[in-house]
Amino acid sequence: MNHACKEISRLASESIERELSLWERFRFHLHMAVCKHCRNFEQAIELMHQAAALMHQSRYGEIKLTDSQRNRLHKAMDELN
Amino acid sequence: MHSDPHQWINEHGDYLYRYAMSRVHSEEIAADLLQETLLAAWKSHTTFAGQSTIRTWLTGILKHKIIDHIRKEIRERNLSDNVSSDPTTAYFNNDGSWSEAPHAWNENPESLCRNEQFNNVLEKCVSKLPEKQRLIFRLRDISGDDTETVCKSCGITATNLHVLLHRARLALRKCLEIHWFGVGENR
Ligand SMILES: [Zn+2]
Repeated sequence: MNHACKEISRLASESIERELSLWERFRFHLHMAVCKHCRNFEQAIELMHQAAALMHQSRYGEIKLTDSQRNRLHKAMDELN
Repeated sequence: MHSDPHQWINEHGDYLYRYAMSRVHSEEIAADLLQETLLAAWKSHTTFAGQSTIRTWLTGILKHKIIDHIRKEIRERNLSDNVSSDPTTAYFNNDGSWSEAPHAWNENPESLCRNEQFNNVLEKCVSKLPEKQRLIFRLRDISGDDTETVCKSCGITATNLHVLLHRARLALRKCLEIHWFGVGENR
């Protein structure tokens, strides 16, 4: 039996990036209906995608310019005038 | 009032710095890019049409500075694609089935995403990726840049981006399964 997991997992990843064609969607859903492994894969990469975006929020949401960086920028702008 | 660069710094400085930091991961480079942005904005501020907000306009300039910076970095460090050799075959048998079947991750994504320890493991797994995959995954999935911007930054086609992102996701999923979900490598 020939398994399509290699190709279907690629489509799972690409569906985050672009809209799949009608034919691709058809193959994708047909396979997903019968393959638990690929469903697990899809669930995992969705979760990573979400977690990565939230990590961005928590890591970078709060950072600010330091006073010395801010002063340096103001000084650079003063030199323009 | 859009012609006072000091006001730009006061009102948008932190936002722009954050935007740059999350993409270049270096305080020094982020501050330099911000300064270049302000200088470029000052030079062209008379042409600012006022159709967008000041913040959007400044962010657009910064975005270009970041793209230039990343492209230069890729060129200088000669980060290669290697799209021709296919490392994804390692995850599959010859008949196209999984060589190690992905397990179900029975955790609530919402709470997992807010778990600091999980984020640390995820970050560690990201840091183990090949350099170009790491760069692309960070820009796309962590910073949330759109496909077009990431392609421009890295000077690659959309097709290559998909290939590299898929490789990154295969590797990351496996890494998390081992180091977070505790599934042994030889099970
Ligand atoms: Zn499958």
